[in-house]
Amino acid sequence: MGRNGTAGVVYFPIEGEMTIYAVSNLREQIIPAVAEHEEIEIDLSRVTEIDAAGVQLMVAAKLEAILRSKTLRYVGHSKAVLDIIDLCDLGSFFGDQVVLHQND
Amino acid sequence: MNLDEALKTFIIESGELLEQMEAALLRIEQDPDDPDIINDIFRAAHTIKGSAGLFGLDYIVSFTHVAESVLDRVRSGELHIDGDLAALLLESADHIGTLVGHTAKGEEPNTESADLSIAIMERLGAYLGNKEKKTEGKKGEEKKAGVPAELDHKIGKEGGSAVESDNWHISLRFGKDVLRNGMDPLSFIRYLATLGRIVHIVTLIDSIPPLKEMDAETCYLGFEIAFNSAADKSTIEGVFEFVRDDCQIRILPPNSKIGEYLALIQDLPEEDMRLGEILVLCGTLTQCELEKMLQQQQESGAPVKIGEALVEQHIVQAPVVEAALQKQKQVKETKTSESSLIRVDAAKLDQLINLVGELIIAGAGASLAALRSGQADLIESTATLSRMVEEVRDSALSLRMVQIGATFNKFQRVVRDVSKELGKDIRLEISGAETELDKTVVEKIGDPLTHLVRNSMDHGIESAEVRLARGKPAQGTLKLNAYHDSGSIVIEVSDDGGGLNKDKILAKAIERGLVKPEQQLSDAEIYNLIFEAGFSTADAVSNLSGRGVGMDVVRRNIQALRGTVDIESEMGKGATMRIRLPLTLAIIDGFLVGVGNAAYVVPLDMVLECIEMSDAERNATANAERGYLNLRGEVLPYLRLRDMFEVEGTPPRRENVVVVQYAGQKAGLVVDKLMGEFQTVIKPLGKVFGGVRGIGGFTILGSGEVALILDVQRLVHQLGNREQKMITAGQ
Amino acid sequence: MAKTILVVDDSASLRQVVSIALKGAGYDIIEACDGKDALGKLNGQKIHLIISDVNMPNMDGITFVTEAKKKAEYKFTPVIMLTTEAGEDKKQAGQAAGAKAWVVKPFQPAQMLTAVSKLVLP
Repeated sequence: MGRNGTAGVVYFPIEGEMTIYAVSNLREQIIPAVAEHEEIEIDLSRVTEIDAAGVQLMVAAKLEAILRSKTLRYVGHSKAVLDIIDLCDLGSFFGDQVVLHQND
Repeated sequence: MNLDEALKTFIIESGELLEQMEAALLRIEQDPDDPDIINDIFRAAHTIKGSAGLFGLDYIVSFTHVAESVLDRVRSGELHIDGDLAALLLESADHIGTLVGHTAKGEEPNTESADLSIAIMERLGAYLGNKEKKTEGKKGEEKKAGVPAELDHKIGKEGGSAVESDNWHISLRFGKDVLRNGMDPLSFIRYLATLGRIVHIVTLIDSIPPLKEMDAETCYLGFEIAFNSAADKSTIEGVFEFVRDDCQIRILPPNSKIGEYLALIQDLPEEDMRLGEILVLCGTLTQCELEKMLQQQQESGAPVKIGEALVEQHIVQAPVVEAALQKQKQVKETKTSESSLIRVDAAKLDQLINLVGELIIAGAGASLAALRSGQADLIESTATLSRMVEEVRDSALSLRMVQIGATFNKFQRVVRDVSKELGKDIRLEISGAETELDKTVVEKIGDPLTHLVRNSMDHGIESAEVRLARGKPAQGTLKLNAYHDSGSIVIEVSDDGGGLNKDKILAKAIERGLVKPEQQLSDAEIYNLIFEAGFSTADAVSNLSGRGVGMDVVRRNIQALRGTVDIESEMGKGATMRIRLPLTLAIIDGFLVGVGNAAYVVPLDMVLECIEMSDAERNATANAERGYLNLRGEVLPYLRLRDMFEVEGTPPRRENVVVVQYAGQKAGLVVDKLMGEFQTVIKPLGKVFGGVRGIGGFTILGSGEVALILDVQRLVHQLGNREQKMITAGQ
Repeated sequence: MAKTILVVDDSASLRQVVSIALKGAGYDIIEACDGKDALGKLNGQKIHLIISDVNMPNMDGITFVTEAKKKAEYKFTPVIMLTTEAGEDKKQAGQAAGAKAWVVKPFQPAQMLTAVSKLVLP
């Protein structure tokens, strides 16, 4: 799923559900991505659905990156993801820029 | 499909079911123990009852319920169908048919039917014995049991005074299997939000194990929620009815006694102190109440004492608790006023800010036109209008201001995890959590801050042995602090570690070719070398850090926010990394200056004064891009914008100097004319201007012209470096 | 995107009323008249919630849920079981099969909508 971008940055798009049905697989893919790259950019623009399992995974991946001194960014949050992050008030935890108006 | 059609379906369906029931009842006399036949009869009654209930046909429900109960006893083997019972059940089926007939005609049952219902139910009741009553009783109990009560029993009447908050407080710790059972904790919370307003929610991520160890399908989440709602307790409890067996759920009504919160805190798995802070963050408790609670705990000699327990376990030292409480006393009342908050979609807010931006530009255009027209009343009206627009701008921007506390708080977990990983004992102290800054800034500051915290923990704080050898406490302290300082927000990451080693940094930088051996550098410049790409000073390269990844990224990210980062350090005592950021990214008060035909904007909060350049100085410095001025005996480095931006034409006879200051450094900007204060909406530079040094953005003037916004901090920084170098060289 | 709910009950009128209530709230509904019919309708498409009666001809609700949970696509799908007060033993069997939410028959359409909303908002 992940593929190499430029200079140690890996681009990792997640498509479809980020729910209990998908999290086990996603976790298996995120672990090596964080281990092997300095900068990981997880694109959430095509996440159609996310539940608590998805949120947990996002948190765990972010913490893992912090622990390994890597940079892990979530980008392009879909509406489903934004809604959930807002519901949990985790926006400042992830610290990703989710408002894209500045480049309009 | 509508309800009338569904009702027709019900009538037809009931007819069919009653026919089946009748046929089965006739067969049962031949084969009284056939479970399939018994089940068919039961199901017919059961289905009719269930459907009738949906249509609110109580007269069918109550009658069928009794028949169904008798049939359930038959099904479970408690009753045997004999001829009499079969006959009674046939009669019952017929009567159900009569009742459905009333429904079909759209009428209520007449007295005759109603009386017959009672008569048959009495006869059916004879087959029930005590069973039905028992079931009813049990059902009642079940309903009452519900979610664990709010610990009244533990506290009794010694609960103390009621807290100020008008919100419910809901504590949720979800069981590990809820997700596997198809229950999404977030669904319940979303549903909860339909019953009122979630004033504040803290998602507890403490229990999530490291990525490699976690089972992604296991639920590790907990929530602390301040909830504002007129709903009653059973309704709120009902939200969680499907998970109440697997979860720890505590619900405290508004204005509960302080003692009840104390019990809640002690009941939950997390550390008491942290929970106390979370309750304060939720606005459920005020700082003052938390303090009272600690006090009460000590007085009452409760089995577990938050403060004392923490001291005993060496989690915090006694003075720390006191200091924390002292500090908390000073915290503004802002937190308690949260009860009247509403949640707004961030996108809507951004749209508002953009509109206000446009409004400012349009207003400036109107003011300009009014000035040109020379009509006094028009000028006055536009002036009033400008003032109003300014107020609208301020309040719109304040809507986007959020406290930095939530961002700081996530570091509790980070520090805990990283300490463990590094094998160091490090405590995090947070201050200035109530300091507000723009939401867009908050969103972007998380990553740089994380890197700085990591860096301090990795390289700053020494191992316990080294610390003890140096006469420091074994436990290291990391501090996060925030405060406002003249139009900027300052965020500090400090540690009480070994400080930065100047010689080592310099040696490393020379080795890496970042500086030349003969270069003279100030302390600040040496420290700043750690922000250069590919720089690392760690003696031992651990698997966690020492790669030099991040610090250059940190500076880049902070600069992208129009901010700066600098370092203060004392050998052996510790270091402070200081991030300075603008309060908001969208709009600034600007000071408009002109050079030739071009207009430039200097952020007003950086302008100290404006002076005219004397002829003597002009002659001495004529046409030099850079130089020094004498500002009342002070040496002021300056930049001539005309030269810097290669503006065509000759300078006018009189030039002006705008004296700007940033982070304690002063500099002069030489311009042609001063055009006054001006509100500016910052538009990001496109690719065309991206490479121009000293330009931070552009704006559109009321007249429709474009003005470039000067990146003062970068200009000052350049000048400052040069000045320091010269001073150092002169020594 | 509307959430899809599978409603399994042998009473057509019950299914109709539940459908009307839930469609009105914005859900997509698939109906099945018994466990066997329902199992046939679990053909890989996304189902967000299953509402199933216990006592049905051909295949009862508990057998149906047990079978449904064996399919990878429906392993974690929440289930609301419809029960009678008398069905304590059934309730335990259902819990074991993975059905954790129960709604007691008879119920009003609004009650069903409330129960559904707690698990899956439209």
